[in-house]
Amino acid sequence: MCRIAGILNEGLNIDSSEQMVRQMCQLLKHGGPDDEGIYSCVEANLVLGNRRLALLDLSDAGHQPMQYQNRYFITYNGELYNYILIKDELKKLGHHFITGTDTEVILAAFSQWNVQSFAKFNGMYAFALWDNVQKEIYLVRDAAGMKPLYYSTASDGLAFASEIRAFKAIPYLDKANNNWPVYLMAYGHIPEPVTTLADIRPLHKGCFFKYNVATGTHSLQSFAHYSFSNKINTNTEAELLIKNTLQKAVHRHLLADAPIGVFLSGGIDSGIIASLASQIKKDNLNSLSICFEDPQFSEKKFQDNLIQKLKCKNYQYLLKEDEFENSLPTILKNMDMPGCDGINTWFISKYAAEKGFKAVLSGVGGDELFGGYPSFQRASMTQMLQKFPAPLLNITKYSNKKQLARMAYLNMDGIKGAYLFLRGLFTPPEIARQLNATEKEVWNLLEDLPVISALNNLENKNKTAWMEFNLYMQNQLLRDADVMGMAHGVEIRVPFLDDEFIRLSMNINAAIKFKGPLPKQILINTFKNILPETIWNRPKMGFSFPFAKWLADSKYVKGLMEDGNKITKLNYKKFIAGNLHWSHLMSLILLRHRNHA
Amino acid sequence: MRNDVLFLTLNIFSATGGIEKVCRVAGKALYEYGIEKNKSLQIYSMHDGKNAADENKYFPAEIYRPYESNKLNFVKDAMHKGCKSKVVIISHINLLSIGWSIKKLCPSTKLLLFAHGIEVWSPLSEVKKKMLASCDGIIAVSNFTKQKMQEIFGLNEKKITVLNNCLDPYLPLAEGNEKKELLLKTYGFCNQNKIIFTLARLSVKDRYKGYDKVLEAISLIKEKMPEIRYLLAGKYDPEEKKHIEKLAHRLHLGGHIVMPGFINDEHLPSHYALADLYLMPSTKEGFGIVFIEAMHYGLPVIGGNKDGTSDALCNGELGIMVDPENTNELATAMEKVFQNKKGFMADKKLLMEKFGYDNYKLKLNVLLDIATNARMN
Repeated sequence: MCRIAGILNEGLNIDSSEQMVRQMCQLLKHGGPDDEGIYSCVEANLVLGNRRLALLDLSDAGHQPMQYQNRYFITYNGELYNYILIKDELKKLGHHFITGTDTEVILAAFSQWNVQSFAKFNGMYAFALWDNVQKEIYLVRDAAGMKPLYYSTASDGLAFASEIRAFKAIPYLDKANNNWPVYLMAYGHIPEPVTTLADIRPLHKGCFFKYNVATGTHSLQSFAHYSFSNKINTNTEAELLIKNTLQKAVHRHLLADAPIGVFLSGGIDSGIIASLASQIKKDNLNSLSICFEDPQFSEKKFQDNLIQKLKCKNYQYLLKEDEFENSLPTILKNMDMPGCDGINTWFISKYAAEKGFKAVLSGVGGDELFGGYPSFQRASMTQMLQKFPAPLLNITKYSNKKQLARMAYLNMDGIKGAYLFLRGLFTPPEIARQLNATEKEVWNLLEDLPVISALNNLENKNKTAWMEFNLYMQNQLLRDADVMGMAHGVEIRVPFLDDEFIRLSMNINAAIKFKGPLPKQILINTFKNILPETIWNRPKMGFSFPFAKWLADSKYVKGLMEDGNKITKLNYKKFIAGNLHWSHLMSLILLRHRNHA
Repeated sequence: MRNDVLFLTLNIFSATGGIEKVCRVAGKALYEYGIEKNKSLQIYSMHDGKNAADENKYFPAEIYRPYESNKLNFVKDAMHKGCKSKVVIISHINLLSIGWSIKKLCPSTKLLLFAHGIEVWSPLSEVKKKMLASCDGIIAVSNFTKQKMQEIFGLNEKKITVLNNCLDPYLPLAEGNEKKELLLKTYGFCNQNKIIFTLARLSVKDRYKGYDKVLEAISLIKEKMPEIRYLLAGKYDPEEKKHIEKLAHRLHLGGHIVMPGFINDEHLPSHYALADLYLMPSTKEGFGIVFIEAMHYGLPVIGGNKDGTSDALCNGELGIMVDPENTNELATAMEKVFQNKKGFMADKKLLMEKFGYDNYKLKLNVLLDIATNARMN
């Protein structure tokens, strides 16, 4: 896991490009504390940069950018969980390896199978690969979109980086996208393909972007995607496959030459991952958890139950209000693009780093694939409401009741309207007021966002799964996991998003996948023999962090908000009076932090 | 809800012909166009079965709808969605009446038609001709198809854009020698044999592919080259198989020909590796994807000069072009190739330049840019 950056631009001399890439690497240093490397190809005006966080082959042999046969050069961020299998296959085809890294396997695989190699990779990754003979560069991103990669083709060249912040080093690309506040206030994050910069876009997951230096032509191509089907139709078969496939996935995700741990929230998903990891690691499993003094929010008792059962070593972190207050400015600074979530991930990653872990497993993905969110229960109702006539839905938009006001979003057809109705923050009239825009401008921007228009043939709950997987998890959870983990030089790995496991879960007929009195019943049925009942048969706590109180007490927040414009101040008052949810306030804090309110 | 591009097809995954190949690759290109340009896309298939698209590599099933031959529903949904789309692309002239109806109801929708080969060379009724004229653009897979359409229907040249078919980016990779040895044994061949390969549907109406002529040409040189063998693959009608066997018998080629039937895509590379030459002297080929696939797997190719093959062979730059009716010419060309196989292999760089997926996408993107921005001629 590392951070990557690069520039290919004929209009720049190589020294300036090199200087910019060095600056980009400096801005990304937090995500790659172990090493820095630069590769320059003068002939092509190309510079690749890398900051390395070493997890496999910790020696200097893993230095990046890495070359193969003096033809292929790579700067790579991520992990391939099946690299040993691919390496064996390549060895049989006559390839020789110098290092123990997965980086070298990617290079050899590309030299053997060209772009068809990408579909063979099971992992989380984003990389840039330069073919010095064909004079082509490839930007590649994993199929689940776990690792980010942003790029630009402005100014007749190509520039890319793991984080938006790196583009500050390129003056011609450091141009703000003035529309991002609208998306932040509606979604609570910046949804793909929007970014905070005007000329930068994310590489779509499961795609590669190919740029030919000789012709200046480029092409975006898809090499992998996930789709739902009804191939698995019995509980017995589904449960057996879930058990075996997830076991294998966890095993693969534990592969590292550096210390690795497991996040334990007290919920089902991280409980399953920890239990499976403990079967493999036996007594050597290390777990990490966060708890609070206020029992209303603390999941300590659930965590303790599991720790007791697994007999694993646990590092429990008591997060207190003063630490939250002191850390908030840094958390906001560490966010690459603004997002209302991720604070919890920041703290647990910080703690993991303090305890010497370089990688941790997380339970992200379980809720999206198996229906853990309330949105799954509301799927049919949402679809029904979407058929209401527009004037009826519009009446609700000025309502003081959040749920009712958000019904206006159902005016937007398809998954976009459903998502904002279920998960949106502010409504268009509120956004317009806050940002001094017209309501029409806000609606237009929200309508313009390209999200799949219709999901043909999908059962209602699979539609919700598609939505949570491709919108909420993609734009919020995975971005948090990457950026907040990297802020502390910790890699967060997600076994539920193992390629084989995603494909399996999407092949299970929705009628059995979402069946049962409890959410994620099929996961519970599969793993209840290894999971304490207190974990799977417990009341749902929702988002169990005492942030509302802490944000209300925060002097830093108070100062920030009271320096804001009239509407910001009004909204802050509403929050203090208990009439605004903390996540709404959080989006305003983020706007203020970037001088937009 | 407003949609940008609607792609209407007959079959995509439930049949294995050239037109279906074009639909799969075009579907992929359209999907990627949507991602790159932030456009929405829907793909409908009239005949594909319910699970036909499961685990396909070309595009996600969520943007696709199979109608399992329920024509009524297909027409209803296609009309409904078509009227809300900026561009409707129809993959086959048999869908023209639906395209025309959409155009009538919603004139601002741009209508594009894929024209492949033989299906657009036959005369049409006056009504169909009028419908054809309603298309905003025709995408012809070869210059030959374009010329034919101009000749037969008197269409304006500007209306027809040639977009040659391309190599499928998911073609299985070439394999090592192990499988080749196994296949030699299976078919009773040996390393000394000179193997001619043709891959075609074998039926009376597909005789234009010219396999009869290949047999006749082989008979002309078999004395000189007794090691010559003919691997004639592809799904066959039993009657046609009998016809070919009878012909082979008459020409004393009984021991020279093998007809293995349908070959699955994944086994194609080993079959190409087995052969020394790809030969298909067809007379009515719209383009001939199989030629460029053969070249991709390193085979010299010989094709006819009377149809769309000229485009696939790049007017002789990539392969040998002969008069497909002239068996002497065919025989001479075969001998030439057997004497210097490497010398007649296609230039890989030129092949990719002409028929690589990258360039196909670039050209299709330009057409779509023009259509979605409504600046069609």
